[in-house]
Amino acid sequence: MEDLRKKLIKCEERLTYLTQIKAGEDWGNISGFQEQLANIRDSFYDLEKEKIQKKVKSLEEGLTFLELRCEESLTPMERVRIVRSPLRFSLKDILENVYEDYTELGGAEETNIDPSMVVAKANILRRAKNKNFTQQVMVIGQEKGHGEEYRNGGSCKPWGNEKALRYMQVAQTEGIPIHFYIFTPGSFPVEDYPGAAQQIARNIYTLAKLRVPIISMISEGGSGGAEAIGLSDFRLMCSHGYYSVISPEGAAAIEGKIREGQKVPGELIESCAERLHITAEDNFKLGTIDRIVEEVVLGAKHDDFSFFKRLRYEVMRATDEVVLKTKSLRAFRAYELKLEKSGERAMDDPQIDISWDLNQDELKRLIQQRSKKYRLMASDAFSSRATNLTSLIQRVKHKTSNMYYSFRYDILRSQQKQVKQVIKDVSGESSVFFKQLTAPFSAAYDFIARKPDGKNIKLPLSGTSGGALEFGDTYTSPLANEDRTVTCPNTEKYGCRDLWVPDLYGEFCGVCENCGHHFPLEYEWYLKHLLDRNSIREFNRSISAGNPLSSPGFEKQLKAAILKTKRQSAIITLEARLMGVEIVVAMLYSNFRNGTVGAAEGEKFVLACEKAKLKRRPFLAYIHTTGGIRIQEGTLGVVQMPKCTIAVREYVDSGGLYIVVYDNNSYAGPVASFLGCSHYQFAIRSSRIGFAGPRVIRETTGSDIPPDYHSARNALKRGHIQGIWDRRDFRRNLHKALHTMGGRNLYYR
Amino acid sequence: MKEKILIANRGEIAIRIAEACQDLGLDFVMVYTPADEDSEHVRRYLDSKSTKNKAWRISSYTDSNEILSIADYTKCTAIHPGYGFFSEDFRFARRVTIRNRPLIFIGPKWEVIRDLGDKINTKRVANKLGIPTIPGTDAPIYNEMEAEAIAEHIFEKQKIQEIAEPSVLVKAAAGGGGMGIEEVHQLEQFRRVYRQIQNYAKRQFGDGGVLIEQCLRDYNHLEVQLVCSRHGERVYFGTRNCTIQSTGRQKRVEAAPGFDSSCFPYDFNPQEVLDKIVKYSLKLASHVKYDNVGTWEWIVARDGSPYLLEVNTRIQVENDVSARISYLKKKHPNLIREQIRLALGDKMGYSQKKIKFKGACIEFRVVAEDTRRGFLPWIGTISRFNFPQHEWSAVYTHVPFTRPYVIPSDYDPNLALAIVWGANVDEVKERGRRFLNEIIIEGKNGKGEPILTNIPYLKDNIDNLLKF
Amino acid sequence: MKDTYINEILEKYRADPFGYIDSHTIHTGRIRFFVKKDEEVSGLSGEWHHIPGTKLYSLHREGNEKPTFSKSSGIVSSIRNDLEGKFVEAGEKVITIRYPLKKREIIEEILRQVLAPFKAPERAKYFFSLDVQSRIEKFGQRSVMVRPGDEILTMSLMKRDTPIYYQGEPGIIHSVYFQQGITVEQDEPLLGICPADKLPVIQKVITRVKAEWE
Repeated sequence: MEDLRKKLIKCEERLTYLTQIKAGEDWGNISGFQEQLANIRDSFYDLEKEKIQKKVKSLEEGLTFLELRCEESLTPMERVRIVRSPLRFSLKDILENVYEDYTELGGAEETNIDPSMVVAKANILRRAKNKNFTQQVMVIGQEKGHGEEYRNGGSCKPWGNEKALRYMQVAQTEGIPIHFYIFTPGSFPVEDYPGAAQQIARNIYTLAKLRVPIISMISEGGSGGAEAIGLSDFRLMCSHGYYSVISPEGAAAIEGKIREGQKVPGELIESCAERLHITAEDNFKLGTIDRIVEEVVLGAKHDDFSFFKRLRYEVMRATDEVVLKTKSLRAFRAYELKLEKSGERAMDDPQIDISWDLNQDELKRLIQQRSKKYRLMASDAFSSRATNLTSLIQRVKHKTSNMYYSFRYDILRSQQKQVKQVIKDVSGESSVFFKQLTAPFSAAYDFIARKPDGKNIKLPLSGTSGGALEFGDTYTSPLANEDRTVTCPNTEKYGCRDLWVPDLYGEFCGVCENCGHHFPLEYEWYLKHLLDRNSIREFNRSISAGNPLSSPGFEKQLKAAILKTKRQSAIITLEARLMGVEIVVAMLYSNFRNGTVGAAEGEKFVLACEKAKLKRRPFLAYIHTTGGIRIQEGTLGVVQMPKCTIAVREYVDSGGLYIVVYDNNSYAGPVASFLGCSHYQFAIRSSRIGFAGPRVIRETTGSDIPPDYHSARNALKRGHIQGIWDRRDFRRNLHKALHTMGGRNLYYR
Repeated sequence: MKEKILIANRGEIAIRIAEACQDLGLDFVMVYTPADEDSEHVRRYLDSKSTKNKAWRISSYTDSNEILSIADYTKCTAIHPGYGFFSEDFRFARRVTIRNRPLIFIGPKWEVIRDLGDKINTKRVANKLGIPTIPGTDAPIYNEMEAEAIAEHIFEKQKIQEIAEPSVLVKAAAGGGGMGIEEVHQLEQFRRVYRQIQNYAKRQFGDGGVLIEQCLRDYNHLEVQLVCSRHGERVYFGTRNCTIQSTGRQKRVEAAPGFDSSCFPYDFNPQEVLDKIVKYSLKLASHVKYDNVGTWEWIVARDGSPYLLEVNTRIQVENDVSARISYLKKKHPNLIREQIRLALGDKMGYSQKKIKFKGACIEFRVVAEDTRRGFLPWIGTISRFNFPQHEWSAVYTHVPFTRPYVIPSDYDPNLALAIVWGANVDEVKERGRRFLNEIIIEGKNGKGEPILTNIPYLKDNIDNLLKF
Repeated sequence: MKDTYINEILEKYRADPFGYIDSHTIHTGRIRFFVKKDEEVSGLSGEWHHIPGTKLYSLHREGNEKPTFSKSSGIVSSIRNDLEGKFVEAGEKVITIRYPLKKREIIEEILRQVLAPFKAPERAKYFFSLDVQSRIEKFGQRSVMVRPGDEILTMSLMKRDTPIYYQGEPGIIHSVYFQQGITVEQDEPLLGICPADKLPVIQKVITRVKAEWE
């Protein structure tokens, strides 16, 4: 009887789970089953055992059938509900069941800087030739369960992500692989130090070149929160998980322009979940993940031990593969072959012994392969209208200029350095005696060294003085063509007079003359006033934002944006001069889909990085406005975060000077990656910088924020940016920044 | 079309403009702030019962939106800015003239206000035309070596001129009003001071540009009154001497003509110098196509060498001083009237030859202030206010004669302008003394102390007029 | 201070337990009202006083429609409906808001009699001296002790700033009666200074009003 009772309870559990997945909808006669169950329960002690047994059995069979039917037709939103179910397995279950033993680091359970982020040093068992080996790994991931009350739903605080970063570096020191487990609906959007966006950016920036194999597994991959521990050499995803740029509810609220506090219609959420391409299969097709880990029917729960076994096999295999790829292709092939041969048996006992230690060369290859992997992500998700011929010409040009620049900078420069060092050493010792000797020599040397292109980067420290607005008369904002006045938002505080629009947007450059408040100006203004006249050469203009997920209705919106801006994407990349200094500029601007970043924007940004690297030019990212990752591109948009950050990291490591200047509004993904990782970030006055806007903060944290929460001033206070610039001094300040940060060569080293 | 003038100013000038409008048969509108409710310029034109309200309450004289709002509502077609406030604000003039409902700005065209409002630019243009300016730079200097070379040159020149205490002024180019100015007496100190000012300018104004000038001492401050029309006609109404100023560089006594041999044995021929500055002033005016009233300010050193200081592109407080030594058809002209008439597009109707200069004139600015304590403004209530009346004097004031008046604390405590004229300087000085003695001003402040005015100071300075 | 005196004041407030706030037009323009007589209005709200109150009226001037919001909650007790859609001058009284007096305000009013007033020496604008201002910001107004001879205020008069030194008994700044940058008439109290020995009296007033006023 006891046995039967247990079975019945199990049935009840399964039925509840089904109801949850179906969100209470009466599907497949769930209510009938519920009735049946109630019947059995009510008459449990009245009927004889056999009858009950029969009834339970038929109930079980019916349920199994129902579950299979449900599994076959799982909608994306149902998968989201599976992932959010309290029954779903969590990180602690993995630590218990996949690894041999483990020690939690950086706090334990509730006594923790951030209980939503769990870090543990763990051992994983490998059997080969009937011997047991343990291999150490660093396990990092979000935890939602096993103490739900303090886990914050797996939504990490900035300091939780910071903890993760610390232990990533420990793994690097110890040379052990990292296994990331992603169980997060998103990061907790608070700006408190170290700041949600900034910390994620730091994590991604570090991961770009972290010298250990990194494997990640996604169960719940909520955008930025996922990326904080998501950049990896091999990305696994659970078959019932989801990986998305935004929660379906959030997307629906934006899509349906739902006002705060109002209910978002369920159908809209369903269709948004569909459109976002969030399932494992979708992501595999898009190339944003590398392999799917099969779960049991309707997803793995706390106690699905077969799943943990499979997971153990998959993470080991992924680690092995990453390691082997750095060694030789041959070893990798042999490994694959062996696995294939052993078939299903491999899961229990692959009987292959592979060391996870890598030597210097292998590490170098590991990083290269990681970079290449991300470089190629989402490369089909935009269109470039360059014809074959032009692209051929471009390729040739690229090759030749590559040779030219590497000759000019790498070969010549190293010699130059040597010669200079000698001169320095010699003249340093007894300058009086040697001055006469070295002076003509160094002069001759300078002459030769300057020869290759005849126009060495000049140091325009003198001569280009004058006001901030040298070309003030050449361009006036079209906003100025109206005879009316506007009220300064600070009028109450500082008694500002109403501003006459032609003065404000003309001579005053959109700045209140009394309090210095900056009214927004169009990006064209900056093109005209920031950069030297006639020095702008735009490139990659033809790379065009697309609709890779065929999101319904988006095609039209995109066309409208293209028509309105006469541009193909939300980013403008250009080469230009600033007071004589050659720079490369990437500019996200508001008119095109609110400056959101998708595959085209990411690609253009990476290409600009590469150009700056090739030509040894300082690189400016001027963010007129960015609204985050373009949600219509789903995870293809999300992967722009690591993709662009890797490009930035490579540029900076090669000696580049990367400066970010924020204006108007800069939020979300880009700030939490390739912008926020810059060592030198500045903001134009009256701009706002942050991770999530006030509404999202209210909705996720449940508390309100002060109106100036995201102000540049507060960003400076928190240490996110290095300074606030007046728009009118932008040109001068940037020029100064290039020199003070860039040093003699306007390029780090 | 009949023009209607909005008078965007307060106090005595508002009244003078209103009277000029009445003389010309033009309708006009006054504006005022609550603090001025009891001033004559308001009371005289405010009639709450009448529908023909001529005075309108605004929040501030310096808010252009208020001025234009009233101008539009009252259907004014022109704005007279008076002096101070918007008179030299080229942005205001520009807005007034280019807005959807354009108005006539009674003053020079805005481009001229802008170009001559920039002292450095004025100096550059003047130098180009061969008009002397104070020796020094006419553009901001950013380079220390260059700056020192200029300073050295200025010291050299002073040595040649045998100036007793040669010195150089180092000024922040973006500064003004006495901020960021240092005097250097020896070239050796120059670099230190230069760096100090440069740092100050960088910190304060975000621009490290520095100006270097010879420091002039022992000079007279002269003015040339020009009147120009929109049709390229330009005449002058003599010269004035405004050397007597308070510690805050506020003029207190002005006299015309600019020099008079009866006052001081000049080292130069006074008439020649006066002619010279008039000639130069007209030259610059014609170069910039000046088209309304304006004052060219000059510094004349003890040896008679003139230096152009700046151009005031407005009607000045002391304009009547010039008018009282000038005769058009045997009558004193009214320069405010001329200004309005010409700004509205009239032709001048006379040439320089028709303007006769005769006699002398002094203007006293009667101010409630403690001249012995740094010209500290005095606040209180005036209970008695009486000025003598003569056919050789005039008084311009907004202070009522018939009722007590509380001096508003929001503005300068100017009480009245008193003007006396006569056949020659001696006679005018005598009349001036007599006039000042006849003034009766009584009043008390909050503590019950009697009113303080600068009348004793004015009397004391009569003998200092036109001297070095 | 006598109890009877406090009674008297309390009696007065019982008879008319309302405060009145007049709204004057801040500048010229064409006026449009958004409330009606006897309508309930709300004042500033939100944790940071960042949510404006009820829109009372707007002034249209030079192409700019500028709204004025109610600063406090209450009822529109008078409104110049005759001006609707008309051009008004600056400083015109257009709306009066009546609101029930709060305990704090009644206490403040009674304390005016108890506290040593520091009066305006001239009709001028007043500001706290930089030192006092920073101490207020740091420690809060009622923790700032003033002694005779302290530079406590800056008087802005005729475009000149004159330092004002405190005279009178030493004490804490209990109440501030002026607004920075707004002209204060001569002899109007600027500050209410509370000497240490008067603290019990003040406490008594506060408890009484709190007990008797609901």
